[in-house]
Amino acid sequence: MKQLTVLLLLTGAILLGSATIKPNTGNGQYKNLRVLPRNITSKELLGIMTDDIDDGLGVSCGFCHAAAADGHGLDFASDAKPEKKIARGMMRMTLTMNKKYFKVRHPLLGAPNLILSCATCHNGQALPVMEQ
Amino acid sequence: MKDPQQSNESIANNDGVDRRGFLQCMAWAGTGVLWMMTGGIMRSYGMSQLIDKTTDGLKKGLIIPSSDFSFVQISDSHIGFNKAANPDVVGTLQAAIDKINAMPSAPAFVLHTGDLTHLAQADEFDTLDQSLKSVKTEKIFYVPGEHDVTDNGKLYLERFGKNTKGNGYYSFDANGVHFIGLNNVTNHVDGGLGYIGPDQLQWLENDLKPLTNSTPIVVFAHIPLWAIYPQWGWGTEDSAQALALLKRFGSVSVLNGHIHQTIQKVEGNMTFHTACSTAFPQPAPGSAPSAGPMKVPAEKLRIMLGLTSVNYKEHDHTLAITDTPLGA
Repeated sequence: MKQLTVLLLLTGAILLGSATIKPNTGNGQYKNLRVLPRNITSKELLGIMTDDIDDGLGVSCGFCHAAAADGHGLDFASDAKPEKKIARGMMRMTLTMNKKYFKVRHPLLGAPNLILSCATCHNGQALPVMEQ
Repeated sequence: MKDPQQSNESIANNDGVDRRGFLQCMAWAGTGVLWMMTGGIMRSYGMSQLIDKTTDGLKKGLIIPSSDFSFVQISDSHIGFNKAANPDVVGTLQAAIDKINAMPSAPAFVLHTGDLTHLAQADEFDTLDQSLKSVKTEKIFYVPGEHDVTDNGKLYLERFGKNTKGNGYYSFDANGVHFIGLNNVTNHVDGGLGYIGPDQLQWLENDLKPLTNSTPIVVFAHIPLWAIYPQWGWGTEDSAQALALLKRFGSVSVLNGHIHQTIQKVEGNMTFHTACSTAFPQPAPGSAPSAGPMKVPAEKLRIMLGLTSVNYKEHDHTLAITDTPLGA
């Protein structure tokens, strides 16, 4: 009985903890997200873009994102550039490899628990150098 | 591995300067460079000749040429950055502010040449604003870096776009010097190079038209307006058009950031200067697979960060540029 009580209390504590440690949810402001969560926050998204992709590949935003039609900045939602489709494939590959081969539970891009990231293979290069 | 103290000592005594080539902040770690420009001719003085190492102040009896006014350039504060290269960018920004506030006379104003924030978040802009409130100066002028315009510049312009044109460019006059702040980060070109664009170039041409050739000009923009290392995006695609407009002026100083190290070049009447970051260093051009935050031993970090002070002497139309590291 005592053990059951302890178990129930522990379970309740875990559930309560999960409920209170929810990540901040974005307001769905970003369009055409197909790999990243739709409720991703601005900070999370830009952290991935800046620290993982930009630094990992040595590129800037315009590498994947097309120029805006009005000539002001970029159209982030546009899929006009093929690099964006490739990037989505790379993101899916990264998540799969972390989960399947490195047993990372619930891998998320930008999360500190990822074993493999963009930089692991790209090492600051848009096209990883292939050794002959 | 060399004793850092010994390395700094030997570097500090090597004041040889190649005026036609590049200077690198890393080669001058622990020292600053005083540049005096007269009639387009640059003269440099190593700070080891000027600084008393025991007191960290000017050598006794040394007289620095007086100036009519001075201003300071800081750059690349990257508020919000928290990775290994520097987990305390607010602290190192504060160290830069402390250096500014310790100057014998307060600068007339401060130029921030971009990458104010790391992710263009509202709280990052707020933190920067709070930090810079303690700077003892009349005004701070800004231009954006590419990190500040990841939302196409919306938040940046809300805060700093007043009295600017287009995507945030503008000019002002101070003590007879004409200052021009350009935005070469909002619009993108292949390779990550900076881009000024036809509208801004047209505005620049109109802005310069009424000025006489003897008006000293200071242009400040985030990405370098000269091709330091285009493979890493360290250059501006259409800067040649801007520089052609500036060619007729007798004294032009171009102040940039972006590369997180000091590199200088003199070409005729133009002096180009990039500033250190107050956040983290980057590798020297071509010395690493790519640009990006560079982790250095903790004791070396503040030596590789810094700020730039500029003293202007009206009579001689001279601009003296001094780089000061955060740590000795």
